[in-house]
Amino acid sequence: MDIKFNQIYGEYLRDESRQVGRAESIVFPKTEAEIINSVKEMSRKNIPITSQGARTGLAASAVPYGGHIINLSKMNKVTGARYDEKEDRFFLTVQPGVLLSDLRKYIANKSFVAAEWDKESINALKFMEKGRWFYSTDPTETSASMGGIASCNASGARSYKYGSARDHITGLRLVLADGDVLVLKRGQYLAKDDEFSLITEGGREIKGKLPKYKMPHVKKNTSGYYNKPGMDMIDLFIGSDGTLGIISEIEIELNKTFDVIWGLTIFMPDEDKALDLVRALRHEIKIADINLNINPSAIEFFSHKALKMLRDRQKTSAFSNIQELKDTCHTAVYIEIESDSNELVWAEVEKLGDVINALGGDEEETWVAYNPINLEKLHDFRHACPECVNLEIDQIKKLNAGITKLGTDMSVPDDKLKDVMKMYNEGMEENKLDGVIFGHIGNNHLHVNIIPKDMDEYEKGKELFLIWAEKIAAMGGAVSAEHGVGKLKVPFLKKMYTEEEINEMRKLKKIFDPSQILNRGTIFEYVEGQ
Amino acid sequence: MMKIIVCIKQVPGTNEVKTDPETNTIIRENVPAIINPFDTYAIEEAVRIKERTGAFIYGISMGIPSAEDMLKEAVSLGIDKGILMTDRKFAGADTLATAYTLSKGIERIGEFDLIICGRQATDGDTAQVGPSLARTLNIAYATDISKIIEIKDNEIHCLKITDDGYEEILIKLPALITVVKEINMPRLPSIKSMKAARKSKIEIVEFDGIKADEKRTGLKGSPTQVRKVFVPLHEVNTTLIEGTLEEKAGKLSEILLNLRMEVE
Repeated sequence: MDIKFNQIYGEYLRDESRQVGRAESIVFPKTEAEIINSVKEMSRKNIPITSQGARTGLAASAVPYGGHIINLSKMNKVTGARYDEKEDRFFLTVQPGVLLSDLRKYIANKSFVAAEWDKESINALKFMEKGRWFYSTDPTETSASMGGIASCNASGARSYKYGSARDHITGLRLVLADGDVLVLKRGQYLAKDDEFSLITEGGREIKGKLPKYKMPHVKKNTSGYYNKPGMDMIDLFIGSDGTLGIISEIEIELNKTFDVIWGLTIFMPDEDKALDLVRALRHEIKIADINLNINPSAIEFFSHKALKMLRDRQKTSAFSNIQELKDTCHTAVYIEIESDSNELVWAEVEKLGDVINALGGDEEETWVAYNPINLEKLHDFRHACPECVNLEIDQIKKLNAGITKLGTDMSVPDDKLKDVMKMYNEGMEENKLDGVIFGHIGNNHLHVNIIPKDMDEYEKGKELFLIWAEKIAAMGGAVSAEHGVGKLKVPFLKKMYTEEEINEMRKLKKIFDPSQILNRGTIFEYVEGQ
Repeated sequence: MMKIIVCIKQVPGTNEVKTDPETNTIIRENVPAIINPFDTYAIEEAVRIKERTGAFIYGISMGIPSAEDMLKEAVSLGIDKGILMTDRKFAGADTLATAYTLSKGIERIGEFDLIICGRQATDGDTAQVGPSLARTLNIAYATDISKIIEIKDNEIHCLKITDDGYEEILIKLPALITVVKEINMPRLPSIKSMKAARKSKIEIVEFDGIKADEKRTGLKGSPTQVRKVFVPLHEVNTTLIEGTLEEKAGKLSEILLNLRMEVE
């Protein structure tokens, strides 16, 4: 039953982007049939629909611009499992409202509510017992929902090794704008060059042509629709920010867990040396003739200002439980290494120590974690960075209600790492803006968060982001690497693609959603008649 | 220079210890062994004293031969010398036999100023070995220390955390304290300290190396028998009250009134 909007539902007008929208009604379906009913009704009345998961997104995809909300948080069951014996691959089917934190718990404990599972699924569980598995997509925010993760093609730290959400999604069920259902299995629908044809559950054929624009050559990208001649059509829907259909079920593939996982936080005396360390870890440069064979699963970064912010916050109780930062810690690089043996990792870490020293750092200025409890401490430390930014912004918001979080999510090709860092630092310096940089430096994908003191600085920051988006696009980068375009990054996407190319995206959407009722204003503006 | 001894135990490295319902033993499969988390606070506090006033820190453990690696880890965290007491005759010890055996290992070290233990181990959770060791050595002790205010030649001034707040206490040295996690934030090892620790030598002490009564060590010296290990049942009944605000308030007050009558 749809609920008319009132104050009780106010929180559903917001997400982690801190944007506030408006809506007239909301529904919390528990089944796909309930989604279909709601979509059909809205479609008939031509009322726009915004779909939501856990509302942890940073690009305001889940913030409604009027109309109806379909909130999927009550569809939170793991509905089945599948094991491919020949290839030793394990899959889970989940509803969109399942939270990442819950999913991780179920997988770690190998414990599922399987009362309604079919025989094949229950059988598959027996095979799960044989090994240890994990789901590799790891956005920092673990209260994210699986539907949200698929919608924005989320990634996280370990995507350096494992790739983004897309690489682990093998099936989707989508409710289309007319209430029909589209079922996609990876490998089932491949475009013939730029032509595709899909058959819905209702028996309808959806035919179309793929756009002509080319995606950037970066490892992480979720800027507009995925598009490549001959592509697997499931990839069009992953990362489409809920604009083509409402996800009602996702099949994900799990990975095997390594017995040994080490985490290292390495403090370098300045940023340039930290960047050289990253390049050495990526085997782009060789330091002091040392053969480093390390293959990290994650390479992360904390700028000088980010560490300073953490150090200042450490004095308050909220972050007193994170590792104590010495005053001398300047810039940090965090890496994670997976292996079957501690000795193999140690052999590399020993050499890494020599590399750090040769670069002008000090192997004493490192934190090494090689058991799960200490590893969690390093994860907490990493997570404290965005949390700290949120606290800072919340504080500023008390004085200036119009200020929201100003964070980038752009990525560039490997050879542009130093250029992009220079661009960020100089941009903030020239505009006298305060900001912290952290994130997935392994993929040249950093989150720059500007901390504006007032509205004036906030506006300056927003302008700077647009300039950066343009420069990033010129470097061959992506304006959104993992958060999705949502509504906030619509202007950025325009810096990456021409008006004509964005119109191609619009045309593609209209094949699936002719009246454009799904997530209006997301990826590109809604213009009546266009 | 002060001599500090830290007692260290190896435990399964997980926050969720699982037991085998049939054998009542801890399932250790796929779980790496780590330093008992409470002992990491003890190590850190000893290292902080060393950094302030200078001290020599011994780390002592009774356990299986592979605990040698764990003691090397303790060295990487700032311990100066690791001692591992390992012998079949020590195996199967309860807290009483463990305290006795450790006391014999400590007697070998000779004079000392302070023993620091973690409040309890995360596997057995008894919190008995610290106090029992102090009694066996016949020295003063205080449990649940959350802050060392000052340490002087012959006394230690500290805060003990209690259910109601803190007790400020002075103890004459030599003494033993057990520490709680509020006392500090243990540091992690660095590549440099790990390199040094890997080269360090852990002293191995067997039964023949101590002057001990065989009847008081290992299984023979352990009066405790574990009959059953179980997770205590924790039953919570939830009643969901539905209706309009007025209806809900009405039903709730009814329930609360009934509860009061039950208590009366």
